[in-house]
Amino acid sequence: MRIAFTLFWMAVLLASVRAEANIQIGLSNESVAITSNFDGADIAIFGSIEDGDPAVLDRKGYDIVVVLEGPPSDVVVRRKERKLGIWVNGEQQRFLEVPSSYSIATTRDLEKIADVKQLRSLKLGFENLKLVAPEGESAQDFDAVFVESLARLKVSQNLFLERVGGVDFLSPTLFRARLALPANVPIGHHRARAFLFREGQFVTTRSTLLNVQKTGFEQVTYNLAHRNGLLYGIIAVLVAIATGWLASVVFRKD
Amino acid sequence: MSVNVFVLFGMGAGVGFLSGMFGVGGGFLMTPLLIFYQIPPAVAVATEANQIVASSFSGALAHFRKGTVDLKLGTMLLIGGIAGSAIGVAVFSSLREAGQLDLIISILYVVFLGTIGSLMLVESLNAIRKARARGENDPAPPMPQQQNWISNLPFKMRFHRSQLYLSVIPVLLLGMLVGILASIMGVGGGFIMVPAMIYLLRVPTNVVIGTSLFQIMFVTMFTTVAQSATNQTVDIVLALILMVGGVIGAQFGAQMGQKLRGEQLRALLGLIVLAVCIRLGWDLIATPTELFSLGEKVAH
Repeated sequence: MRIAFTLFWMAVLLASVRAEANIQIGLSNESVAITSNFDGADIAIFGSIEDGDPAVLDRKGYDIVVVLEGPPSDVVVRRKERKLGIWVNGEQQRFLEVPSSYSIATTRDLEKIADVKQLRSLKLGFENLKLVAPEGESAQDFDAVFVESLARLKVSQNLFLERVGGVDFLSPTLFRARLALPANVPIGHHRARAFLFREGQFVTTRSTLLNVQKTGFEQVTYNLAHRNGLLYGIIAVLVAIATGWLASVVFRKD
Repeated sequence: MSVNVFVLFGMGAGVGFLSGMFGVGGGFLMTPLLIFYQIPPAVAVATEANQIVASSFSGALAHFRKGTVDLKLGTMLLIGGIAGSAIGVAVFSSLREAGQLDLIISILYVVFLGTIGSLMLVESLNAIRKARARGENDPAPPMPQQQNWISNLPFKMRFHRSQLYLSVIPVLLLGMLVGILASIMGVGGGFIMVPAMIYLLRVPTNVVIGTSLFQIMFVTMFTTVAQSATNQTVDIVLALILMVGGVIGAQFGAQMGQKLRGEQLRALLGLIVLAVCIRLGWDLIATPTELFSLGEKVAH
């Protein structure tokens, strides 16, 4: 009897695991080329819910959150203080491996999708980002005002973007997320992640990569400036000499 | 960074016009203007050094053809200038790392523009008053002939073109000061070098401009390469737009300058310089709307 009981519950458990929904995602384009007149772009991420519970699907109980993160970089947030009448940079906080950009699209308000505890553990939303402390410091000691300012400044530079309702369902199981790439989008590998929630509970996540590259003249000058500053400087000087010489030929007085 | 090409071209042409009209380099006006236009000060300074290469090259070329360059004196100033520029670029990097670069650039500008603008204004207003009192321009005051402290310094060297027998110490130091200013402020430094050469080194006025342009040209070349290699703050495209605007504006400015009188021109320039100084100074003391700022270093 007892064995039968256990077996019964194991079967139920297995069935529920089997029935747990999964998601698949794909990008509208796997790489983005930045040209000299690049003015920002939208990128679409398509996905589908697989093995969704029909009852939950009927109730529109599934929520999707899609995040596109730029390559991580170290950031310093500085606070200005008045010293001897002038405003100077005073206290500062360094954060390591901050996503250089963070674009998030959701089916509805993040707080309605899941509770703060889950959002925090999944690092979802500007205020829940994973923040790494420099050596010798602890992330627990971060002054909240610097953490908030980091997000606010990134938002003001269009690098952190949030689109509530940016994910919509094309069919009960097929969804599309529209994420914005700002004009100043960081170059490199961006990671797109989709999160599936079922009625307030996190279910699963999938991720894929998006490569953002400069092309043509932009790429040449960018690579040169960042990889071979010396050569870039020499070219800058030669361009200046040529311009100066041309000016003296064109406008020669005698 | 989203900027308008036509605005930048216009700024280049406007400052070029002023520099043609007043016969000055214009770096000390261009860099603050770029900063007002939200170009990061680090980029403004290094890119402006690149632009000055173009303007000083065509200027130096003209003086070279006329034979109004003292090559030996220029080379000595240049040795000091390269050393100064190297020091300046290193200081620039560490100030940037410490998050104090923008502040130091602004303070230096306020101090230099304030001093020079006031001196120019006072001097030109005095000249205008005197000219009115006498009814016409009087010749420039004779150069003071008495010995100064500089003639007592050791390591003397003969500069044939300038007919000077002079210690190299003040020459090297002057070159160095100008080199430091070039790398930290993005200026040619003519506004310091020309008066210093005339009044301290007693260089004949006919070779002063050509010789200083010779030095400025090479120092800004070195600064451009050093800034690009160490700080990656040179923007060729930005520099090119400013150069083209600058050389065109300078032609019209030079024509305009010939129609106006010297002291009136100097008074006008003094006022412009003071206006830029006040704006920069105001930005230092006014409470900013955003107290926080981001400094970034991409992890490779």
